[in-house]
Parts: sequence; structure tokens; C-alpha cells
Amino acid sequence: MRKYKNTWLLLCSSLFWVVSYPIAGQCTPEATTIDELVEKYDSQKCGGCHEEIYQEWQNSWHAKAVNSSLGGIRNFIEVGLKKEWNTPLTKNEVLKCLDCHAPIVNFASEELARDIGRLIVTAKDFPTTPTGTEALKELAKLNVGCYACHNIKATGVAPGLRGRPQEGVMYGPTGEDGDDFHTSVETVDLKTSAFCMQCHGVYHAPDGETIQCNTLSGSYRHGYLAAGGSKTCQECHSAKGHMFPGGHDLDTVKQGLGFNVQIAKYKHLPGQITSVKDANKWVPSAIVTAFIENRAGHRIPDG
Amino acid sequence: MVLEVTAKDAEGNELFKNEKKWFEIGIDPDKDMRYGAWQIKEIIDLTLPPLATQKEQYLIHFDTDTDEVRIDAKLYYYINGSKRELVHDVSKTLSFF
Repeated sequence: MRKYKNTWLLLCSSLFWVVSYPIAGQCTPEATTIDELVEKYDSQKCGGCHEEIYQEWQNSWHAKAVNSSLGGIRNFIEVGLKKEWNTPLTKNEVLKCLDCHAPIVNFASEELARDIGRLIVTAKDFPTTPTGTEALKELAKLNVGCYACHNIKATGVAPGLRGRPQEGVMYGPTGEDGDDFHTSVETVDLKTSAFCMQCHGVYHAPDGETIQCNTLSGSYRHGYLAAGGSKTCQECHSAKGHMFPGGHDLDTVKQGLGFNVQIAKYKHLPGQITSVKDANKWVPSAIVTAFIENRAGHRIPDG
Repeated sequence: MVLEVTAKDAEGNELFKNEKKWFEIGIDPDKDMRYGAWQIKEIIDLTLPPLATQKEQYLIHFDTDTDEVRIDAKLYYYINGSKRELVHDVSKTLSFF
């Protein structure tokens, strides 16, 4: 057993130096099925103790981050990879989308990652067929779950300083969990905007490719902070807990936009407006002045 | 995001309509407009910047026999795809008797 463990440690260390990807500190056998992948990092397990947070998350866009973005990911595979880049579907390519939309795919085998890519194409192109319906059902298991933020991306803001995330450890802003179900580590990084920016901005793939789903981080950093803003993403987007409402939530949009409209009337001098029926009469006129205020920490709209 | 300003007479006939849109255009390295996240490398930024307030002003003339006008200013946001939601609205009826 010890020999087996040491072999894994050795292999893990080797991979660490050979392959540079966000979870290089973790070394477990890669999952070969979606069920295997999900079972290992299932958010439902977290819901056993963190019920309220789990329910909030279930109503979030994070919880449906794959199926809500099928069109864009499908186009990347079918148009980007296949037609424009003439590049085969590989795990590395799939991760250019799923490293953010379903980070646990980092733990998938090469073949499973490709299968997931193919499922995305099937689900988008044939949603009403039995295979399409089944694909949608399978893909619904993939999302931005608890482990995504509280482990995989937890130390991504400052990996040099914090080290790579350790397998099975849950990282949180307090490090407190109240029981010994899992090891907890305090990471204030989760409260920073830079943490969210890992995905909510231009994504930089390990090979240097940029994927620009949105530009939130750019306008936050170079617009909001530069204009004197100092709030973090979490300060505005945690109003509904782990639901993290944003541009898809009308209440949040209303809070982010100020609207002050002044409407006044007057009568314009006769003879100056030639398009009216009687040029000798005073012309009914209105002045409408609208002030639209962006109270958010980023440009509106975005992405 | 769209600001829509309309003016209608007492019968509901539209006398004026204007739309101001805020958006961004993604472009590839050849400066061609693109929608794919993998294609977009730069943007043309026509959005509302953070912490900024922009003023839109309209001077509207009506015909000389216009007695009453209802002005509506509505701010819409595309919450989900092509479906826009009303975020804020202000209305006022002007009488020219």
C-alpha cells in the first residue's frame, strides 16, 4: 500500500513539473465517466451541512453554467476548432470553455473531456431527439459547483504565494466549518475581486489563447477602480448569498442603474419651425433630458 | 441597454420616437466584427462606463394643432438573449391648451 502511495506521489510530482494547469497540486486518477467525475466532487454532499448555501447556489447561474451556455461552447467546438483552427477536439481545447463553465472537467480523462465536448454539440444541435435530451441531462450535472470556487480556483489569484489547492481541502474566507467532514483552510482571496476575475473577464488559456466571453474584469480594473471605486464584486453580487445575481437578475440591474428624467414643455417662436401646419402659430415643444447613471463596478452592458 | 423616448398624442398616435443604445462590438485581429468568444480579441466600447452618468437630451417640436402629448422615457436591459426587460420608466403628460 505504501509502495502504491509513493508511486502516486512520484507520478504526481512529475506531472507537476511537466504539466502546468490550475490543479497541478492534485493528483488523483482521472474520471472516465461524468457520473464518476460528479460523484467525487458532488455539490449535494456540501448541501448536507450547508443547506441554505446549497439552495441559494441551486438557483444560481453557476449551477447551470454549461447548459445555459451551450450555444457559445458548441460554436467554439464546431466553428472555432473544426473550421477556423482546423484543430482536433482535445481536453486542453475543451478546457478553454470548461475550465470556467465546469472546472471539475480538469479531473476528467482525455477521452471523457472529448466526450463532454461531443455531448455539448449533440445537446445544442439535436435538443429534442432522445440523444439530445440525454446529452442535456448528462451535461446538467456539470456546473460551477462548490469545489470549483472552494478548491480548484481558490488559490488561483496568487498561486505563487498561496500554493496550489490541495486535494479534498475546502478553502473559504474564514476557514471555519464547525465539523471535521473536510479540512478547511482560510483564504481571504475568495473575498477579492481578483478571485472572480479568473473567469469573469478575458480568460487566458495555458497556451496563450484568449477567450473573451465578457469584459467585466477589464472595466472593473481600468474603469471602476480608476474612477475611484473601491467595492469588490462580492459586495454587490452577494445580496442573495450564493445565488450571486448579476445581469440576469432584474433587481440587480435596477440597483446598478440610476434613471433621472426631466420633461418640460414650452412653445417655440412662430416662423422658425417650417414643418408645422401653421407657421404663424406658436409651436408646442418639449425638452426631455435623461440622466442614466451606471452605479455598477463595471461597464453596462457587458459580455 | 436601450433608452427609448416616445411622444404620443391623446389618441395614442406616435409623434416622436428615438432609441439610444449602449453596447460593445467584439472584433477579431482583422477588425472584423465577431460574436465568438474565441474570435474576439478587442472590443469597440460603446457601453456606459462604471460610475459615469450620461445625459441624453431631446428637443421635440409638435404640430401647431397638438393639444396634449404623453412623453414616455423607458430604460430597457437585455436580461436574457433577445428579450428586453423594462428597468426604469418615467412618463409625463404635457398640455398645450
